Amino acid sequence: MSPGSEWRITMNQSNKSNISDALKDAGLEILTCLQCGTCSGSCPSGRYTGMITRKIVRKARVGKDVLHDPDLWMCTTCYTCQERCPREIKITDAILAIRTIAVHEGIMLPEHRRVSQLVLEYGHAVPINDSVKEKRESLGMEVLPETVHKYPDALADVQTLLESCGFDKLAAGSQE
Amino acid sequence: MQIGVYICHCGLNIGGVLDIDAIVAEAATFDGVRIARDIDFACSDAGQEEIRADIESGVDRVVVAACSPRMHQTTFERLLEDSGLNPYLLVIVNIREQCSWVHADNPALATQKAIDLVRMGVTEARELSPIPKRTIPINQDALVIGAGIAGMTAALDLADSGMKVYLIEREPTIGGRAALYGSLFPTNDCAICIIAPKMTDVLNHRNIDLYTCAEITEVEGSVGNFRVRGVKKPRFVKEDICKGCIDDCAHVCPITVPNQFDYDIGVRKAIYVPMPQSVPMIACIDEHCVGCGLCEEACPLDAIDYFQKEEEFEFDAGAIIVATGWKPFDAARKEEYGYGRHRDVITSLQLERMLNASGPTYGRAIRPSTGELAQRIAFIQCVGSRDATVGNNYCSLVCCMAAIKSAQAIKKKNPDTDISIHYIDIRACGNGYEEYYQRTQELGVDFIRGRVAEVLTHGESAVIRYEDTLADDGIIEEECDLVVLSVGIEAESEIGIDMQTGADGFMQVAHPKLRPVEAHTDGIFIAGCASGPKDIQTSIAQSSAAASRVKTLLTHDHLEIDPMSAHVDADKCIGCAICMGVCKFKNIRMVHGKAVVDELACKGCGSCSAACPEGALEPYMHTDAQILSQIRTLTKNECPLIVAFLCNWCAYACADLTGVLHISYPTNIRVIRVMCAGRVNPGFVLEAFRCGADGVLIAGCKISECHYIHGNVNAEHRMAALSGLLAGVGIDAHRLRVEWIDASESKRFVEIVSDFVDELKGIGPIGSELSI
Repeated sequence: MSPGSEWRITMNQSNKSNISDALKDAGLEILTCLQCGTCSGSCPSGRYTGMITRKIVRKARVGKDVLHDPDLWMCTTCYTCQERCPREIKITDAILAIRTIAVHEGIMLPEHRRVSQLVLEYGHAVPINDSVKEKRESLGMEVLPETVHKYPDALADVQTLLESCGFDKLAAGSQE
Repeated sequence: MQIGVYICHCGLNIGGVLDIDAIVAEAATFDGVRIARDIDFACSDAGQEEIRADIESGVDRVVVAACSPRMHQTTFERLLEDSGLNPYLLVIVNIREQCSWVHADNPALATQKAIDLVRMGVTEARELSPIPKRTIPINQDALVIGAGIAGMTAALDLADSGMKVYLIEREPTIGGRAALYGSLFPTNDCAICIIAPKMTDVLNHRNIDLYTCAEITEVEGSVGNFRVRGVKKPRFVKEDICKGCIDDCAHVCPITVPNQFDYDIGVRKAIYVPMPQSVPMIACIDEHCVGCGLCEEACPLDAIDYFQKEEEFEFDAGAIIVATGWKPFDAARKEEYGYGRHRDVITSLQLERMLNASGPTYGRAIRPSTGELAQRIAFIQCVGSRDATVGNNYCSLVCCMAAIKSAQAIKKKNPDTDISIHYIDIRACGNGYEEYYQRTQELGVDFIRGRVAEVLTHGESAVIRYEDTLADDGIIEEECDLVVLSVGIEAESEIGIDMQTGADGFMQVAHPKLRPVEAHTDGIFIAGCASGPKDIQTSIAQSSAAASRVKTLLTHDHLEIDPMSAHVDADKCIGCAICMGVCKFKNIRMVHGKAVVDELACKGCGSCSAACPEGALEPYMHTDAQILSQIRTLTKNECPLIVAFLCNWCAYACADLTGVLHISYPTNIRVIRVMCAGRVNPGFVLEAFRCGADGVLIAGCKISECHYIHGNVNAEHRMAALSGLLAGVGIDAHRLRVEWIDASESKRFVEIVSDFVDELKGIGPIGSELSI
């Protein structure tokens, strides 16, 4: 099980208007946060970006519009904050959950939207291009790797899957 | 048998609702009643005189129908005793709080209920027998385990009152951790200056028998009569000869080891005294000794004895004070802080030793890597406290003040030192503490709100990385000469005596508010940090409190047995030992295949009695016969009829409060008071159904709030099992209700009774299940 897959966020289904309640339903209690700053001080991303982990937790707690906070996307999910939190708050999991809520609310950075569209179109976030194809050929490899690039039927399956869970609409930004 | 029944008017409180004449007339007809009369105020002098006169003319059982027994039981017990009657030949029938005050809307049914209750009371009175006052001789000496500031205080308090005290200390010196500090908050007095006189007093007190290098290995017996065994570890130095000159022997000793009394920041020899102010001032050779014999040659008094052996000792004591203190959190467990990796990261206790004028650095806070005075010092608070990742959720309470104190001491000596204290919350709660904190701020110590995330190494320097949560400066990295980890207080686990501990590892007291120094075991008391983090002020206050409790306990040479205590009928006991498992106080043991109750220590909950399959165990008061007799006199004059067993401390008190608040509820309930829900034998419930009760209610304290710790849990299990069996004998399981209720929840009590009445109306009278 990959990190974060233990929880399941269902903001829309649970009809929770407030984020900390939605997180609590997903087993991610943030109400006990001390605001001690151990998370921020431990954050490798925060040293180089404006992200202050503690503030994200606080915003989620008081219901400020954490969903629109661009710092939400600066977390590298290294889990150091989660490991060190003296109240054992699942901070990284909570950040991932908040991101999920944001996307379901139609809030997505343009870069992420573009990547999502690539996944929808090619089945890859970084699709193969001509220069890669040439390199593969020069190395004696098959031009296309053993992925959806090679099997158009499989790509159609992936697209069906993505569409069936509404990912195409999320990526298109129709909810925004 | 000549029973006197007295129906109290309590002015209009009872007389205004109930038909007293009818009750008196009815009571006069009950078996064994010689006199039945009404009294205006039974508790008044005049009322008591009437009863006394009757006793003197031959009444030998007294039934008073008046207010709650929780109100005046003692008053009437005293009256009986003063009148020459055994005080336990008394029954109080509650017709005020649980009748007239709650059924004022229905005087006819209320009167009927009162008559029923008086009838139950008279029947119970017929089952009473005198309970003789019984005493057990006790030992009046006391044992104090641990000779830190708490243990020394308790021992001196007791010894000064003339009691003999055995004081046991594990280390070669007394004084504990406090004697190692530099200064004490909030007065900045030098620690050893105020503690050393106490240490000397302890050593010289003629009533204190001091054992150092000693540990308790076994404690058996119970309150008043403990048998204590222990061992005294060898010092390999003759205690009666050594004068503590130490230089002669230590100077020649070739073995140098870190000194644990300096928290390893200083060194000592294998022959040593823990600190210059040790008491007793006797050298000690530790396990690092290679037996070279140099000290033996050097000692001018021939005090060295390499062949000393461990000695066992034993004595009796009536009471025990456990003052075993605490141990510091192991800072190396917080790997991110680099303790043990970076030399300039030290613990607050190591700093205490540095700042001690006679410590390893003679009062200077130095940078261990260079030996130079530290110019930039950071304190990291809550290391091992308030931290779920190391399993310590609690606050250690003293670290904020200790850091503030040390910062102040350094600043006063070297005002140019740059000091920051990195905190989550500053806890300066105590007399003069906030002012002390403020004075430290005025000296220029910087208080930074934000827990330091990690300590890094940049070149030679220790670097702290943190977020100042009150500023908007992002993540900050700062080089420090010295990083001080304010380590938390942890429970000391190796103490040689079996004590009940809480989730935090500290010993549990009998009640966190009402009995703060008493252990769960009678006769054992707790002082100082053994029961949780405390500052010195609180530890000393607790020690005196514990000493005072011991003095109260051991004032007389005997202890009286509570009539509520359980006892065993050895002829009936089959030795199944079920009761032993039920008694969580461990007051029952098996002797020659029979259960024996420690009647002195018994708390009187009655859980064992309810569990005994042979009826061999019961309390002296509220016997099975007394309870069953009440059940058997139930009169089926209301339907549904509910028998309620209410625990004295919560549910019964709640029913009384409902009366005080005059909230009405249906009259269908007949209450039998028990000390604990755990006292209710499933047989009582079945008997109630057999005698025509349509429903049985058992109510006690909320789970985890039981006056007897586990009594209600016993009741819960028992009644759950019984509930499952009821259907098998053709009784609807809904006729048995178990509720946990606070003494304050009157509204809920009324709801429970009303709802139960409605439910039973739906089910129909007892037996209707069978007629289908």
